[in-house]
Amino acid sequence: MSVAAGPQEVRIVTRRYHEFPEDSWTLERVEADGGYEAARSAVRDMTPDEVLDTVKDSGLRGRGGAGFPTGVKWSFVPKDLFPKYIVVNHDEGEPGTFKDRELGERDPHQLIEGIIIAAWANQANRAFIYCRGEMALGARRMDTAIRDAYRKGYLGKGIFGSGFDLDVTLHRGAGAYICGEESALLDSLEGFRGQPRLKPPFPAVKGLYGQPTIINNTETLSTLPHIIRHGVEWFRRWGTEKSPGTKMISTSGHVVRPANYEVPLGTTLAELLELAGGMRDGGRVKAIIPGGASAPLLTSTEYRLDFESLQEAGTMLGSGAVVFMDESTCMVRNALVTNEFFEHESCGKCTPCREGTWWASKVLERIEHGEGRKEDMELLLDIANGIDGRAFCPLGDAASWALRSNVELFRDEFEQHVIDGRCPFEDEHLSFTGPRAAVPGPGDSGIAAQPHAGVDADLEGPDPREAGR
Amino acid sequence: MSDGNGTVTVTINGRRVETHPGRLLIDVAEELGIFVPRFCYHPGMRSVAVCRMCLVHVEGQRKLMPACATPVSDGMEVQTDHPRAVDAQSGMLEFLLINHPLDCPICDRAGECPLQDQTYAHGPGTSRYVEPKRTYEKALEISDLVVLDRERCVLCWRCVRFADEIAGDRFIQLVDRGAGTQILTFSDEPFDSYFSGNTIQICPVGALTAKPYRFVSRPWDLKTAPSICAYCSVGCPISNEARAGQLVRCQALPNENVNDFWICDKGRFGYHYVDSPERLDNPLVRKGDSFEVTGWAEALRTAAEGLRGAASVGVIAGGHLTTEDAYAVQRLARGTLGTADLDSRIQDDGAPYELMVDAAGVAGSTATLNDLESAQTIVWTGPDPREELPVLFLRLRKAVTGRGAKLVVVSPRRLSLDAFATHVVRCEAGAEAAALEGLRLGNERPAADDVASADALVCCWGPSSPGRDETPILEQVVALAAERGGKVLVCPPHAGSQGLLDMGVHPALSPGYRRPETRGRRTREILEAAASGEIDALVIAGADVLNDFPDAELARRALTSGAFVVVSELFATDTARAADVLLPAAAYAEREGTFTNLERRLQKLEQLLAAPGTAREVWRICAGIAAAMGDDWGWTSFDDVWADINASVPTHAEVDVQALTQPHPVAGPHQESGYELMPNDMVMAGPGGPMPKGHRSGAAFEAGQAWPLSWELRSFEAHLRPGLIPVAADGTGEVGTLTERASATRREPGTFRLLSGRHIYDEGTMVSRSAMLHELAKEPFVALNAADAAEIGLSDGAQAVVEGATSVTLPVVIDDIARGAVYIPYDQPGLHANTLMRGPEPTVTVRPA
Repeated sequence: MSVAAGPQEVRIVTRRYHEFPEDSWTLERVEADGGYEAARSAVRDMTPDEVLDTVKDSGLRGRGGAGFPTGVKWSFVPKDLFPKYIVVNHDEGEPGTFKDRELGERDPHQLIEGIIIAAWANQANRAFIYCRGEMALGARRMDTAIRDAYRKGYLGKGIFGSGFDLDVTLHRGAGAYICGEESALLDSLEGFRGQPRLKPPFPAVKGLYGQPTIINNTETLSTLPHIIRHGVEWFRRWGTEKSPGTKMISTSGHVVRPANYEVPLGTTLAELLELAGGMRDGGRVKAIIPGGASAPLLTSTEYRLDFESLQEAGTMLGSGAVVFMDESTCMVRNALVTNEFFEHESCGKCTPCREGTWWASKVLERIEHGEGRKEDMELLLDIANGIDGRAFCPLGDAASWALRSNVELFRDEFEQHVIDGRCPFEDEHLSFTGPRAAVPGPGDSGIAAQPHAGVDADLEGPDPREAGR
Repeated sequence: MSDGNGTVTVTINGRRVETHPGRLLIDVAEELGIFVPRFCYHPGMRSVAVCRMCLVHVEGQRKLMPACATPVSDGMEVQTDHPRAVDAQSGMLEFLLINHPLDCPICDRAGECPLQDQTYAHGPGTSRYVEPKRTYEKALEISDLVVLDRERCVLCWRCVRFADEIAGDRFIQLVDRGAGTQILTFSDEPFDSYFSGNTIQICPVGALTAKPYRFVSRPWDLKTAPSICAYCSVGCPISNEARAGQLVRCQALPNENVNDFWICDKGRFGYHYVDSPERLDNPLVRKGDSFEVTGWAEALRTAAEGLRGAASVGVIAGGHLTTEDAYAVQRLARGTLGTADLDSRIQDDGAPYELMVDAAGVAGSTATLNDLESAQTIVWTGPDPREELPVLFLRLRKAVTGRGAKLVVVSPRRLSLDAFATHVVRCEAGAEAAALEGLRLGNERPAADDVASADALVCCWGPSSPGRDETPILEQVVALAAERGGKVLVCPPHAGSQGLLDMGVHPALSPGYRRPETRGRRTREILEAAASGEIDALVIAGADVLNDFPDAELARRALTSGAFVVVSELFATDTARAADVLLPAAAYAEREGTFTNLERRLQKLEQLLAAPGTAREVWRICAGIAAAMGDDWGWTSFDDVWADINASVPTHAEVDVQALTQPHPVAGPHQESGYELMPNDMVMAGPGGPMPKGHRSGAAFEAGQAWPLSWELRSFEAHLRPGLIPVAADGTGEVGTLTERASATRREPGTFRLLSGRHIYDEGTMVSRSAMLHELAKEPFVALNAADAAEIGLSDGAQAVVEGATSVTLPVVIDDIARGAVYIPYDQPGLHANTLMRGPEPTVTVRPA
């Protein structure tokens, strides 16, 4: 794989489905394309510790949001406690993020292969895929893929003819953002109300059903087969020292071609924007959400997309969802819409998140509708500070970061709302979530841009569950 | 800094303290007198850290840490008054208050409300919130006793956690999410828990209120006194609270030895009988077919004359007498009346408590309630503790679900314990002893394996069914414990039961577990002798033998045989109506006294109210009868009684009864914290103590005025009232030769052993006169095994004719009960089951109606 001049994708986890868009999710295609070889060689030829060391050496960091080194996470799992569980976080709820959905729909076998490698490394005999409830097509394809893998002996008793057993269960969530938080995900998986658990103990020690549990993101696991197959050196060819490899960036907003782009970590926002065809209608960048709705805003494209650079810039790579907003965006409305999301998704467990996001929505709504007061900006910052670092789980923190960065970076715009007694953008009714006409590119917005989106799209044959198995 | 003995040193607000690792910061701070504000944390339940009120600054931590979920570690430096922490506390209160209705002027909780207290101490003075508040339907009745106001709720989860973690009654839950999260019950199920009232007490706001207390009083208008619940033998400490001379509320006082922090709803709401207009207020003397109100002098003289003229006197005492009353009854019987015929086991459980004396040196428990929690295995045989000893049920549940003890239940019928028992041994009725022997000999596997492997074993026994002879069962329990080095928890039924045994109200025990010279008659024999005329006078203290003795016909004959009957009672019970002299007694809230609980712990009751009319303590009544008979004991005060007990009862010689009471918390280290805004000062201010210094509300309270305490602060009181278990001589550890076990012989189809038991809300003298609870009493039924029912053509819900001494038609409930036995509740509205019973080991026939 060579990198040409100018921004270009480096397709590792997305290669297969770009190369074989017609049938990348079928076992036939995957096997013809060398699928499951990495898992087979891991289980047959490598010890679990060798796999663990390889993943550690690769420097792979979690692709779900926190960017925690995967190998280190695995090493926290007590070796002598059984059973252990692997849980795949396929709940992808971060606004602006749509990469895991694509991986689940278009290359489910790659994920299963990653699960096998993780399970072998950690000697876990059971894995659960916690799939976001809305992802109907992905769930069906993963379900089919799991059953195909069982049939081939890649899952089940003595996989690949070894003495190692692995069962994979697909579980569909019921639509709560909080269930993407790993401990809330476990509660939900166990059948309880999805709410984060008190830590410690951490899931690695006491997770699902009180047993050691590894929770990894879909993209993280999908990367594993490539690391095993090509080695650490190869993987580290891309990315930075501290953020090696490539990352899928869900790119959306006011860009010409919103889509997922797999780029080496360390790619600049400007390069990403170029990949996405630039701003639509020749617009200029006003604000950028660099890592999903939780991430504090940026106003310049000079930053590099990797964990450490964005942290230095006071924001985060998060799940790798970049939203470019042009100058038609009302930032009060942006703050309101973002905050309303967190308010709606707050589980209600802790005081600051539950009450703070609720209060902030009320205040933002007032400002947006021309009823703001001059002290409201301070109040919003106080609310943000009252949540930040005091909430039970990162959901509250995320809400406060988004709120604070909107107010701090665009304070003049907030004040304009108060002074004018109206939203200066109200005639245009434009913001990145708002309706718009005639947008070039593959879809209306990044969120709806995927060709396979929708429950009924592109089903291959009848649903096996409906065929009375 | 660590001394190597498993202790750590932490510094909180500049004060160093050595403590055990793993303890929670919030507890360690509190011991230093540093009160960290909190809503969700409760020492009796696992931390959830959801309210975020207790955030404190820990050196080296980027974020503030919740003190309720942070274990102390060596060298930890903590500042609860760090500016960041103070800002967080104030901010959290502002968040909590934005949606709180601030309807304190009409809220029952105002004045003792943790939200109010902590807002005064830590909250902002004004609100910046200008938008409409969240609203819900107000005053939702979620059960017959509990009312919910979701607007006031701060979503601390205490009620939900209590119901789930402590009571195991998951009727109250969180629904919806985010700012719409609310506490609610399921639409088709009320909050139908025997422990629901605890959620009201631990609610840190006025979201859960008690139906009988709504709008009844302000806490500062309440006069309160610590007391002990007068119902069952667990002996939960309670706070009696009265307004204008009327008992209006009863709350749990915590004692970690006894009840943790909890009481049952019977204990909490069952106080209305005290103020009932039906209470006897003056002595009554029979004149022909009716009673005449007299003064005490005449009544006592009449009683003395009647008793002096009797050839033989029998004395029967009920289970709700205090230790002092029990001693007085015993002294009246053995001393003044010179009779050996006295007993307090009016359910004729045939319980051979005296058997324990040889084995253990005491006629009661060798185990304490705390032993349950360190036990590896617990064996239970006896009544259903959820119905008869509710807080013991909670302690057992905690031992099993919280501490991992194994529980083996030996019973011929399904008990509430089965839900979390490790092993249920469903033996035939009458074969409990054989099942226990199987456990002892290792036959009853796998339960026997858990018994055999337990280093710490506690065997619990209580009388399982009225009229049963429990001797072989208790023998096996004692033998099992002895062989495995275990302890025995003896569970007599009522608050006074153990005190009556300790004080020798028993035909084969004199005070202090000694053997009397003459062995007297037990309850059944006394009644038989009275019925036959052999005994021609009866003294009955607080016992409704007509309704409680498991042979109603025998009791009726005994009372109507012409014997001279003296009764002291709270109410004109059926038994009292048969008296020749009826003497009104004081209820538990109207007197000083002690109860001895099932672990033999003495705990003190304080007087809160005046008794109606001239009603008085049973010990005073007994002393009065004795004096009228020419035997003046010289008792005029409670302390006189105890001087006599100290002198005459060897086990109680060293008991300093007044030392059991320290009604007001003492200052101790709490004064040292020096906080201006912390409510530590409230901690020091017991009822009657000074107003807290940190109170910001200005001059609302005069210095020195009583400051009512919210429950958190009350908890300090309890540590000073642990009660006392008197030391007794050791026993041999063994019982003599085991009695031959009654074999469980199958009877004719349609003929069944009659098992019975009391339910929490029943027709008992006190509870049936507590209006709120009487409405909750279940209708009587007959429970039987599905196979037995099918054999005689009955099914669930069908009507069956049950015939014993009398005949009654009851609805059938198919239940997990041994074949050959039926279960009928003992005393539910419409049926006193003792009317069905004749003789010991009663049987009935059952046929379709």
